[in-house]
Amino acid sequence: MTGQGGRPRGRQRLAALLPSAPRGGTAARTPFVLLVVVLLGSGLITLLLLNSALNQGSFELSRLERKTGELTDEQQALQQAVDAYSAPDELARRARKLGMVPGGNPAFLMPDGTVRGAPGPVSSSSTSLSASVEPGSLGPMMLRPSAPETPPASVLPPTSPAVRPAIGPLAPSTPGVPPSPGPLATPVAPASVLLPAAPPSPAGRPSALAAGPSPSASGR
Amino acid sequence: MTEPRDPRRVPRPARPAGRSGASRSPATRRPAVQGRPRPAGGTLRPVSPRPRLRLVALALTLVMLAFVVRLVQVQAVDAAAYSAKANENRYVPVKLAAERGAITDRNGVDLATTVDAYDITADPSLLAPDKLKIKDAPQQAAALLAPILDESREALAAKLDQPASRYVLLARQRTPQVWKKIKDLRKTLDAKAAAAPKSAPRPNVLVGIFADKHSKRVYPGGDLAAGLLGFVNGTGKGAGGLEAQLNKELAGKDGKLVYAQSGGRRVPTADTQEHPAVPGTDVQLTIDRDIQWAAQQAISDQVEKSRADRGYVVVQDTRTGQILALANAPGFDPNDLSKAGPDRLGNPALTDAYEPGSTSKLMSMAAVLEEGAASPYTRVTVPNRLHRGDRLFSDDVDHDTWHLTLNGVLAKSSNIGTILATGQLGTTQPQANRVLYSYLRKFGIGQPTGLNFPGETDGILAKPEKWNTSQQYTIPFGQGLSLNAVQAASVYSTIANGGERIAPTLVRGATGPDGRYVPAPAPAQSRVVSTKTATTLSAMLESVVDDDEGTGAKAKIDGYRVGGKTGTSNRVDPKTGRYHGYTASFAGFAPADKPRITVYCAVQNPTHGSYFGGQVCGPIFQKVMAFALKTLQVPPTGAQPPRLPVTFKPGE
Repeated sequence: MTGQGGRPRGRQRLAALLPSAPRGGTAARTPFVLLVVVLLGSGLITLLLLNSALNQGSFELSRLERKTGELTDEQQALQQAVDAYSAPDELARRARKLGMVPGGNPAFLMPDGTVRGAPGPVSSSSTSLSASVEPGSLGPMMLRPSAPETPPASVLPPTSPAVRPAIGPLAPSTPGVPPSPGPLATPVAPASVLLPAAPPSPAGRPSALAAGPSPSASGR
Repeated sequence: MTEPRDPRRVPRPARPAGRSGASRSPATRRPAVQGRPRPAGGTLRPVSPRPRLRLVALALTLVMLAFVVRLVQVQAVDAAAYSAKANENRYVPVKLAAERGAITDRNGVDLATTVDAYDITADPSLLAPDKLKIKDAPQQAAALLAPILDESREALAAKLDQPASRYVLLARQRTPQVWKKIKDLRKTLDAKAAAAPKSAPRPNVLVGIFADKHSKRVYPGGDLAAGLLGFVNGTGKGAGGLEAQLNKELAGKDGKLVYAQSGGRRVPTADTQEHPAVPGTDVQLTIDRDIQWAAQQAISDQVEKSRADRGYVVVQDTRTGQILALANAPGFDPNDLSKAGPDRLGNPALTDAYEPGSTSKLMSMAAVLEEGAASPYTRVTVPNRLHRGDRLFSDDVDHDTWHLTLNGVLAKSSNIGTILATGQLGTTQPQANRVLYSYLRKFGIGQPTGLNFPGETDGILAKPEKWNTSQQYTIPFGQGLSLNAVQAASVYSTIANGGERIAPTLVRGATGPDGRYVPAPAPAQSRVVSTKTATTLSAMLESVVDDDEGTGAKAKIDGYRVGGKTGTSNRVDPKTGRYHGYTASFAGFAPADKPRITVYCAVQNPTHGSYFGGQVCGPIFQKVMAFALKTLQVPPTGAQPPRLPVTFKPGE
């Protein structure tokens, strides 16, 4: 109110305005103040809780987002690794490393036991899709000497040019093979021995089977 | 402040007026105020306060009015403009990049897919000696980054050693793992710097290294089907091949996220608008990855062996028209375009137009048989030279007079025999030309393949009225018209499919953003020749491969009945526009009595070894066909070939 001395006058005026203003006014003030304080306080606390809950949520969100990102990255990296392994080029390369060769003409075994197609053994270079694959693998290396010799052997006696192609594919392939001395020594010896005995072309086939135990199985 | 003072000031002038009954003691007044009225004395009559009050009230009203007007203007009239201005800074729009759809083969194996990648950048000014107190910070940073980024140390150091620059690009499109490694390294350096004693500060030399996140298109198969798939440009848009053709479907639609920010952080309670990105459609091709690989291997080897300009292989499913493989050699690796020359980036199997040569004799024979002008047993006496128009025509080898059946003409690929046979198509040469032309058109020559591939050629087939004197005799054996490899393959697929042409297709279906698979619309079908003619032609094509006198013995697959035709044509050198070199080709299908697969192969300008179609492309056909038969598990029928006669003995 206005001045120090104006209180009784103000009270009177108020009383005049509100004739029923009781003396209970002083009595009811404490619970009212308490109510207001409680309301304010609880509102404040609620707001605080709400805020911290929201913050909590946003922390959780960013944590999960980061985790999702990491997992996505990992999934993509793994998928790329799988794709790289399952690419046809890579499969062919590793199959060759294991001594396998591409299959020959297709043949089918029908349910009634008949065979459709013309099955036959396969040598590494006579069949398809071999040339571009690196020669640094065991299987083709052992088989190769026998394969090129069949056509020239019938035409040419085992002269020095006939021996050279047998060694030719071997020489560059040695660095690719880890245990080089062992496998290198063995195929050279049978190849040079085989050549004079090779003129009939079917003879080349058993020699291939004998020379390479593992690749011969894959020829079927 | 003004309010409490005013009531006090208002009574002040009133007080001297109420001098008579002064209730308040003068002692309560302030001395300055007290002193003022005294010199004025009681003689000076005070001015009435009312006008002043009114003036002040008026001024206040005016001020308030101005405020109100401004308030209304800000809050009501220009409200939209101001709130927009406020939102400009408060709301941040973020582009949500749509993920580009994958391209898969017919079995769902990814041929092109998208992964996250980072461009590693740096702010070299942060590595300046006066900032870091280290002299060789760029060199140190380069030494740390070189093994991670797989770049040369010197190049990185040179890029980082530019104290005035604020941005350099260190490496493009590195994997998230690379960026993570750099971050980890930086963290350990930070820890080290924090642990170091205060006296010797060791600031982090990786402090100015940043990363920009991008998406990167990867092609897991490397150069597998590269010409067909194409590539994307630096902004991630398709720029070649199917990537360009299907860009709209693959790209999807970018989304947008708008949120309120304060100090760079998102305000959680404020409303956000989110238009999620619509991911691109996954496209499934008709390509079979394994057959594609086999075809590509075979043609690459042969092109290298023959030292040829280029080569193509087309593998087509005869019953559906779907292209199972479309291989080009030499190709390129779309993962690393910087190593590919611009002349390699296309898909020449669809963009090259060339003269097909003898492989197109099949169409001439189809016309002759369908028109009833001859049968496979019709006897054709083929002289060594034939004079037609202004030229003397010959076969690929000098020979005495041959006594061939029509079947033999195709088996031995006699040009003269073909000219003689197609001459029977009409009573006059122009009439025969028109009939032949109508068949060539029906086989799809000189017309779009329907693939809508970017840069695809229709081939060249002049109208019969415009055929010049020699053209009317060369077109029957495949010179003087041009086509692309897919058109050529389609001709053989038409015969294999019983005379009904199915337009080739490359796209099998698409999986939209809603996850629903939608198969591609069925291709157009049209009948070209009758089933009977097609069966006869198949038997004749078998003679080419099967008969000892045929030209295509190298294409034989033991156990299968194979029909095919060799082609060796004079090639128009695209640089000079004149005939120079050859095009070797082979086309065929198997099993001949129940066809499933067509394989077409062409090698342009083989310069080393043989240039004959049977020698160059026959083995490729054999390899690719055997592989495709195995992959699709097509057994031979086991039926005996008809073995039509090739020659006849005159007088019998």
